[in-house]
Amino acid sequence: MSFRRIPLLFVLIMVCLLCLPTRKTIGGDDWLPIDPADLKMTSEPKAPGAPAIYLYRQVDRKDSGRANTEHNYVRIKILKEEGRETANVAIPYLSDNTKIVNIRARTVHADGSVVNFDGKVFDKMIEKTKGTKYKAKVFTVPDVQVGSIVEYRFNYDFEDGYVFSSYWAISDDLFTRKAVFSLVPYPEFALRWEWPAGLPAGTEPPKIGTDKIVRMTATDIPAFQAEDFMPPENELKYRVVFIYSEDGFEMDPAKFWRKFGKKENDRMESYLGKKKELEAAVSQIVSPADPPDVKLQKIYAHVEQLRNLSFETRKSEQEEKRDKLKKVDNAADVLKNGYGSGYDITWTFLGLARAAGLESYGVMLSRRNEYFFAQTRMNKRELDSNAVLVKVNGKELYFDPGSMFVPYGLLPWQESSVKGMKLDKEGGSWIQTPLPDSSASQIQRAANLKLDDEGTLQGTVKLTFTGLEAWSRRLREHNEDDEARKKYLEEELKSYVSAAIEAELTNQPDWKSTEPPLVAEYHVKIPGWVSSAGRRALLPVGIFAAPEKQIFAHADRVYPICFAYPYQKKDDVTIELPGGWTVSSVPASLDKDAKAAEYVLKVEDKKNQVHILRTVRSDLFLVPKDTYPALRTFYQIVRSGDDQQIVLQPGSVAATH
Amino acid sequence: MTNRLSCSQDPLQPRTKTGTAALKAVAFAAIVVCVFLPAIPKAEAADAPAWMHALASAPLPKHDEKTEAVLLFSEEILIVQPNGRTKEIDRTVYRILRPGGRHFGKVEVHFDGETRITHIHGWCIPAQGKDYEVKDKDVTENGLLGLQGGELFSDHRVKVMEIPAPDPGNIIGYEVEHEDRPYVLQDEWSFQGTVPVALARYTLQLPAGWEYKAVWLNHPETAPTSAGNNQWVWELKDIPEITREDSMPPWHGVAGMMLVAFIPSGGGAHGFLTWSEMGAWQSGLLQGRLEASPEIKQKVAELTAHATTPMAKMLALADFMQKDIRYVGIWLGIGGWQPHAAPEVFSKRYGDCKDKAALLSVMLREVGIQSYYVLIDSERGGVTPSISPHLGLFDHVILAIRLPDGITDPRLLATIQQPNLGKLLIFDPTDELTPFGSLNGALQASYALLVTPDGGELTQMPQLPPSTSGTWRTAKLRLDSQGALRGEVQDERLGDAAWWQRGELRNVEKDSDRIKPIEQLMARSMGSFEISKATVTNLQDPMLPFGYQWSFTAQNYGKFAGNLLLVRPRVLGVESSGLLETKEPRKYPVEFPGPRHDHDTFEITLPAGYEVDELPPPTDADYSFGSYHSKTVADGNVLRYTRTYEIKQLSVPISQADDLKKFFRIIGNDERGTAVLKPAGH
Repeated sequence: MSFRRIPLLFVLIMVCLLCLPTRKTIGGDDWLPIDPADLKMTSEPKAPGAPAIYLYRQVDRKDSGRANTEHNYVRIKILKEEGRETANVAIPYLSDNTKIVNIRARTVHADGSVVNFDGKVFDKMIEKTKGTKYKAKVFTVPDVQVGSIVEYRFNYDFEDGYVFSSYWAISDDLFTRKAVFSLVPYPEFALRWEWPAGLPAGTEPPKIGTDKIVRMTATDIPAFQAEDFMPPENELKYRVVFIYSEDGFEMDPAKFWRKFGKKENDRMESYLGKKKELEAAVSQIVSPADPPDVKLQKIYAHVEQLRNLSFETRKSEQEEKRDKLKKVDNAADVLKNGYGSGYDITWTFLGLARAAGLESYGVMLSRRNEYFFAQTRMNKRELDSNAVLVKVNGKELYFDPGSMFVPYGLLPWQESSVKGMKLDKEGGSWIQTPLPDSSASQIQRAANLKLDDEGTLQGTVKLTFTGLEAWSRRLREHNEDDEARKKYLEEELKSYVSAAIEAELTNQPDWKSTEPPLVAEYHVKIPGWVSSAGRRALLPVGIFAAPEKQIFAHADRVYPICFAYPYQKKDDVTIELPGGWTVSSVPASLDKDAKAAEYVLKVEDKKNQVHILRTVRSDLFLVPKDTYPALRTFYQIVRSGDDQQIVLQPGSVAATH
Repeated sequence: MTNRLSCSQDPLQPRTKTGTAALKAVAFAAIVVCVFLPAIPKAEAADAPAWMHALASAPLPKHDEKTEAVLLFSEEILIVQPNGRTKEIDRTVYRILRPGGRHFGKVEVHFDGETRITHIHGWCIPAQGKDYEVKDKDVTENGLLGLQGGELFSDHRVKVMEIPAPDPGNIIGYEVEHEDRPYVLQDEWSFQGTVPVALARYTLQLPAGWEYKAVWLNHPETAPTSAGNNQWVWELKDIPEITREDSMPPWHGVAGMMLVAFIPSGGGAHGFLTWSEMGAWQSGLLQGRLEASPEIKQKVAELTAHATTPMAKMLALADFMQKDIRYVGIWLGIGGWQPHAAPEVFSKRYGDCKDKAALLSVMLREVGIQSYYVLIDSERGGVTPSISPHLGLFDHVILAIRLPDGITDPRLLATIQQPNLGKLLIFDPTDELTPFGSLNGALQASYALLVTPDGGELTQMPQLPPSTSGTWRTAKLRLDSQGALRGEVQDERLGDAAWWQRGELRNVEKDSDRIKPIEQLMARSMGSFEISKATVTNLQDPMLPFGYQWSFTAQNYGKFAGNLLLVRPRVLGVESSGLLETKEPRKYPVEFPGPRHDHDTFEITLPAGYEVDELPPPTDADYSFGSYHSKTVADGNVLRYTRTYEIKQLSVPISQADDLKKFFRIIGNDERGTAVLKPAGH
């Protein structure tokens, strides 16, 4: 559990400089009255089993330009021993422009007796750099027992003359019975607020009252908890974000995005301005007689060879200075210098495609690893990844060569199946990027193995990664050397097998290319894979099935299930049996086609060999929580299939029969 | 740096020494003797110093193609001043060989309130081009915000320096100078690391007339050369690296290092030469901290009011300490070693391991039971009988409770017989999940400092019988003719097995998540299952065995093969391990977390119309470190699988690594064993 009990993030953007301080803080020694029922309570039915819950949270922020302050009040009920850790409090702050004042805390026991905090508040340095000191006020509340109520309050006092954007953290890792928020906005600036992940059920959105104060009350806020395959936290954690602007806000999303689109389009067109240089360059890359798709492939391959600065090891200022890299202002600069950022390379690809006469557009995309884009949020930061749309032979194809190693015709998974904006001078139009088919990204495992009399499998395995499976591995190992890559690939193969396995990589995979599949070849030994059962020997069919062993084991699910991209795993395993051994039986063929996912298992007896074909196909992307049981059942079927065994008759025994 | 009694369980890490200030100087005669620091050569702007350039062409130590970097040179110059304070210069130079070695360019210098870093500087000599330089002003400083685990505040901080271009082929180096006020006149030279070392040098400059005593760990003793004026220099060459392995002993148990104690002229406080001296020093820190306030006396009276026996009294007080005194660590200066006064801990109802041990000691004394501080390392294997006393060896405090004569309660397992003090119960008041009378496996069989009234002595902690820890699992199941298996499982855990499971469930936020461990256990052993009912017993009471009970249905558990039905009798639980299935041969002993005895009995009633055709063979593996026995029998229409797995030797030497590997493979084979059922009468 997180130690931070303070639902605050702070200090985002300095918006304005004002003058003259008159400090005033909310304080006093008054505590809110406690309901006797809260003293006696031993559990919260809406959070069964919770070690502690927030009974009450309050955040009151006043942005007046002078004496800006934020009062925080927290009341926690301790329900279990482990909940006592919540009495350790750390309040982080930037000491350069923020102070924490008026810290008060106390413990109220179940019998109503009170122990006031009179201990030391420590000022802990978290990070000190040249410009800033990031610190935390740290204290612990005394005499905390199961049944106690811990409460504390304090004020953030912000430096005069500054107005900071603020943030109401609604979700926390504890259940909250009631949370009350208010903000007195700085009157000279326009203020906009949004709740990007929605609000807890039954919560009225924040509203500004006639007194010019923005208020919101939320009740029964569930505790946030992480799950495997969950959507990005940004989409799940309830929060309200306030943004100030000197220039006011556009309230109409259509107008907002049109303005954004025009601006981005101008930037892009300016970047692609030196058309003659681009035309000269493209004439060296393609032949006028090339069909459009060939031209495009040649251009893609060309820009993929450019030095991509975005994926190099992070460099210090000194190194960057010494590198003397020339400034890149436009696509022609990228081609002349031979390098650029990922952003530069993608726009350069666009410039070259246009120069080759291909109908091409710049697009701005969101990235679904961080958020699921929503126009209504009017957040430019959510549409910050550039890509290219090209119409070839009547088809619309998307490209992001700046993301490095992405095979032709694919986008990085974060940019697939997302909303984006096709840029034009009118302000752009909305598009949806495609989700690739599972056949585009495969892990193929071809094994030729021999079984010995001791039950050990030995032979060769060839792994072939295609599409995004190859991309992710090439990108991951991009800055590593051969030794590290070898270890990585050997560990990868071992992770597929749920038994001890010796694996030695025997080839030199092509790590540097983008298009060809990534191929790894091994010599392997799996001791004792076959077990004996009296006169028979049993050979499990799911040799490479370990990754599916533990997936979705839990019956309970809180959030939707989010997969990165569709994929296929295809296993083709041939096992040669020892001389004289025969196959008694093989598992029946299985084809569980659940449309968006499929599991196929086929085992063939080929005299002195067995042949196992196994496919797991997933065309899943975002699965609603309600469908989780069906998804779990599918993977249970996969595991059941993988657990099946081929019954063998060892030679000597067969001979005696 | 682990120089405090903080109850932390650090992963295997060299214990960096900057800021050894935890060992406080006692008073010294103020004899003024000038000790000059060797001048630090001033670097030209952006130029690495000459001593570093001199290493550019130095031969590399023995290494292989997997080596990410080599340490060309490490130097530690320690100047002990007559007032007991020290000045130290550390110089370190790496050659980076592979991309994975880049992390050596990020230098972390740990320090605390007793240390002043006066100079920190880094350089890179690239294979081509001019040198890079990092100056003091480029260094950032971090505190550790880590309230998890109970640490609230300490003066421990870290200077972080990032040296440019730590790329393969380049040489990086740094120099750090610091002044310390050690609590004890001692030092630790850790010359072995995770990469090979070409040359390591330690220079000790003592005031005139002072002496030293050096003890070597995990390395043959090497004599110093005298540089005159009571300056001594030790040099080592070609030191192999320590390779990280799972379940290996802690750093002190494997890495070469020299522990050195300083002895001032004319007597007075000196570095620890005996365990007794170290115990006496610790006793000194307890002075005035073990008084019972009226409130403590009143609480003891209240807690023991209905306790009629010494055992009942001890149980009541231990329960109070485990449940009502929250673990919170505040470590400032000597507070890393000295507990807060017992009345303060009592009134705040929180404290760290030292505080909890001190308060319990006071409370026990109020009912006439004596107890003694025990300084211990939270990882077994770092402290051996041959080691010399040194504060940095320990990071935790527990208590040795003198058992009143005549007590024979079977719950009192973790006992030792001490010749002078009698029968002692070793108890860890910080461990809320291990019952009074028992001891967590990580502390068992460890060597620890027992602080006695007349000093202290290195004492081995008890090792409990395997039967005190483990899982007893029984299942009564029924297989139907479609291959579905259903029934109930009883799972009871003792000792560390219960401790671990209770720990896992501590931070579970909701009731429905409490069965996730069962789901994980099931998923490891069967493809398809549904749990229909599950309960947890004795979660909050460590004095009782922890238990799970659940019912499940596993469709397709039995697999059809022609007219045969295949069933794995080992329904649940995995004891085999891939620990030793590594490409490289094992280099270090295997440390088990503690003794263990697991027992499984699974009964499967077979479907009508089937009979047993073949059964997996029984398995019997007996080694000095452990044993495994399993058997599958058919008893009418019931298939009964029983097995026991026992670990009785906590450390398996490297000479037995092959046996241990074989042991786990034998278990793996048994766990895959399958019974073959055939249609009755065929």
